[in-house]
Amino acid sequence: MKSFELVEPATIDEAVALLEPDDPGVRAIAGATALVPMMKARLFQPTRLVSLRRLDGALRGVHEHEGGLRLGALATLTELERSSRVRAVAPVMSRALRTLSNVRIRNVATLGGHLAHGDPHMDLPPVLMTLGARVRAVSRRGERWIDLNDLVLGYYQTTMAADELIAEVHVPAQPTGARTWYEKFTALSADDWPTVGVAVWYRTDAAGSDTTRPTVMTEARVAVSAATERPVRVPAAESALTGAAPDDATFRKAADAAADAVEPLADLRGSAAYKREMIRVHVRRALERAR
Amino acid sequence: MADTIVVPEAPVADADAGRALREVGRSMPRLESTAKVDGSVEYIHNLRLPGMLYGRIHRSSIAHGRIVRIDASAALACDGVHAVITADDVATIVPNPYYGPAFHDQPILALGKVRHVGEPVAVVLATDPHVAEEAADLVSVEYEPFDAVFDEVAAAAPGAPIIHDELKPAGMFTDLEHVAGRRGTNVALDARLRTGDIEKGFAQADQVFEHTFRTGKVIHATFEPMVSVAEPAGPGGLTIHTASQSPSFVRSEIARLLGWPENRVRVRTAFLGGGFGAKLYIKLEAMAAVCALLVRKPVRIALTMDEQFYTITKHGATVLIRTGVTNDGRITARQVETYWNGGAYADIGPRVTQKSGFTAAGPYDIEHVALDNYAVYTNDPPAGALRGFGISQLVWAYERQADIIARALGIDPLEFRRRNALRNGRKHATGTVVYGMEVEAVLDRLAEKMEWHRPFDRGSGTIRRGRGIAIGVKACVSPTTSTAAVHVYGDGSCAVHTSTVDMGQASDTTLAQIAAEVLGLPTPDVRIVHPDTDVTPYDMATLGSRSTFHMGNAVRRAAEDVRAQLLRIAAGALGVDMGDLECRDGAVLSRAGAKLTFREVMLARFAMQAGTIVGVGSYTPSYTKPDPRTGYSPNITPFWMLGGAGAEVEVDCETGRVTVTKLVNVADVGRAINPASVERQLCPACSICRAS
Repeated sequence: MKSFELVEPATIDEAVALLEPDDPGVRAIAGATALVPMMKARLFQPTRLVSLRRLDGALRGVHEHEGGLRLGALATLTELERSSRVRAVAPVMSRALRTLSNVRIRNVATLGGHLAHGDPHMDLPPVLMTLGARVRAVSRRGERWIDLNDLVLGYYQTTMAADELIAEVHVPAQPTGARTWYEKFTALSADDWPTVGVAVWYRTDAAGSDTTRPTVMTEARVAVSAATERPVRVPAAESALTGAAPDDATFRKAADAAADAVEPLADLRGSAAYKREMIRVHVRRALERAR
Repeated sequence: MADTIVVPEAPVADADAGRALREVGRSMPRLESTAKVDGSVEYIHNLRLPGMLYGRIHRSSIAHGRIVRIDASAALACDGVHAVITADDVATIVPNPYYGPAFHDQPILALGKVRHVGEPVAVVLATDPHVAEEAADLVSVEYEPFDAVFDEVAAAAPGAPIIHDELKPAGMFTDLEHVAGRRGTNVALDARLRTGDIEKGFAQADQVFEHTFRTGKVIHATFEPMVSVAEPAGPGGLTIHTASQSPSFVRSEIARLLGWPENRVRVRTAFLGGGFGAKLYIKLEAMAAVCALLVRKPVRIALTMDEQFYTITKHGATVLIRTGVTNDGRITARQVETYWNGGAYADIGPRVTQKSGFTAAGPYDIEHVALDNYAVYTNDPPAGALRGFGISQLVWAYERQADIIARALGIDPLEFRRRNALRNGRKHATGTVVYGMEVEAVLDRLAEKMEWHRPFDRGSGTIRRGRGIAIGVKACVSPTTSTAAVHVYGDGSCAVHTSTVDMGQASDTTLAQIAAEVLGLPTPDVRIVHPDTDVTPYDMATLGSRSTFHMGNAVRRAAEDVRAQLLRIAAGALGVDMGDLECRDGAVLSRAGAKLTFREVMLARFAMQAGTIVGVGSYTPSYTKPDPRTGYSPNITPFWMLGGAGAEVEVDCETGRVTVTKLVNVADVGRAINPASVERQLCPACSICRAS
């Protein structure tokens, strides 16, 4: 490994000033769980690493905000996993975090790094996509909000510019009665990356006074990750659910629609055909478990 | 999870003395537990010497080919690079740089050609490990690629690319002599066993089953990857600090390569961060030694986790197994042909082939047996020992087939094994009479722990359940030898000198218990001196399930030697008969109640509080070399080992995912010296085999 510059700015303004829009060798580093293995494998040779570990409190903490959550980008995955605020607003996140990699990784990996890395196997992006989350990105040019659905473009590729940092993640307040689930399927060891990740979210109309009218789903969100080049929402599955009753037949229809719509990639965790079947099984199971 | 049990229950009594045992047979915490937890324990991985250079290996990028040119100029131009070592440099001090325990086939650095991806071609030496890493990438090698072969069956067939021009057995093993000088073949060793008349056996069968089973390569991936630090010791000496399971072998082999007497090479080890068979024989030691002697500075070569994959693996194998059975479930004949994928260099592969190969018919009583084992060179990284020394590949074949046969015959799989069990007093296929191997007791305990007699819920819907059992036999590696020394110092304290390497198996504690038992000391009062060939006596290696038995007996004899000396001195000092004395509680006690502490015994012997008393013990079990035509030997092993496992699994029929819901491990361990440490070995052992 060639020597490189390691800087530890104290404020977010100093940090973004140290990032370079045109030098791919300059990267921000937080928990180091993704970047350091890439450096050891010599897939990435830094010229400058901007460590975020000494930053002031601006990027830390788990806060309640208008019934939703404001999550600091430097919050560790363990902090999120154990947070009662997270559990109250988005129990699906708390559950997903418990099976994310292993405790040693969760203790140091940060939320911002987890999202900025752009690896399609990450567990939280599909969950946050169905929760309607947005990230606030900052740079020397100011700040902007990015919808989670628009964040990841492909394998290790995001819409973030090279000199932008994720500052926080906003999870909006969830409507009463929203049903959620994250279904993770690993084909290899228990703490391996998922072969398929499926997050689902739906809400039904309030059956209320008119008990003769069957309950139907008024809005539904389905996101698939890991098997695909990037985490994706699946509109075909969502439209199969919207306006239909949350019953087994509907769930099977949505699962079939997802399996048909998504383009899985083959790797050591399975062939494309196998992963297509796993998408079918796990979209259905996620919906059943959300019910 | 794993339910480990030990059979038979250990009777706690000393067969010789008829007295109760105090230290042996008790569960004891490891002597080094605290030091391992607080981080003060020694690992070679942490060693840094003044003026030390860091070596980084440039490895072959192709599987097979001729080296046309090596250009190290860009690497040498890097700031901080001290030297780049290639085979030409090695030749200036080691004219014949081929090493190996079974064959002298592996060059210290690739010489003329490369035989596997990742083979070391050059070593960059630098003052900083990161500079060495960067410079190693800058070494440029031009190759003329040859056809490569990776499959063991294809490599053994006529017309396969030839990996070594000529077979060069090491000469240490006389049963490899017959292959010396063979050319034009990748079969390093063909080992056969014939008993009875195989065709007659198949003629007696009602049905004959024939299957092929394959196993892949597995990597040890120890937490502490291989590491060796070599330093010149004066003008004619060399010290090697190395994470090795076989310091005595390293000394002999390095001395042979250099043409030096063994007493000029010192090899020392510390605790190992895992071994599992990966750290045997020569790994980095020869490379580090040659680099250190060439530049006259200490040199450290340490592998990354990834580099271990280029260094040593467990054998992949193809097992063709043909079994004749009667309709009532008796095996009449078994023929097994096994191709062992040895990779590019033999390492200990030919030993695996022969020493495990002769157990290929399993722990069964079969009259007609024909076994053929082929150690085959391929263009994979070398294969050697990994927990079980080749046994698990064979067990996979014969136990899978046992279930297939039992199902076809409509016989309970456990009952099928029971009907064919090899019982004590019967001859194994090698001709050696079996004793101390409780096949039926292991099956009984498996049946009990698995609740085999109870109806089993096989599930319905998308989740289905199944269960199975398997047993396997291993023979302790033979012939081998161990020597130990027990020292009593001037103040009466005691240390055991052995070259057994504690790599996590608790050998320090076990050996201390044995010495403590003989000398009447509490186990924690016995100090274990770690392997240092300048200090500790010869041991063949820490491998093949041999240390507790071989070194344990050597330590026992050494302690008995010391005890006899202490009793003789005390007898003189107290004016009593030696027969009236015993060692107990750190003292010599007489029947009449007189007492001399060890400290007082030393004072009596040397007339001052000083001096050393040394006891020495060796252990070399008898052995009869097998007939090369038949594999026959009346004495093939000092003891047999038998293990069994049972598992219940769930299959998710929608995903194919298998979940192990119950796992039982049963081992016939005889009398456990330290029952808790035996359990702690068996539990991870079943995990590592699951991973395999």
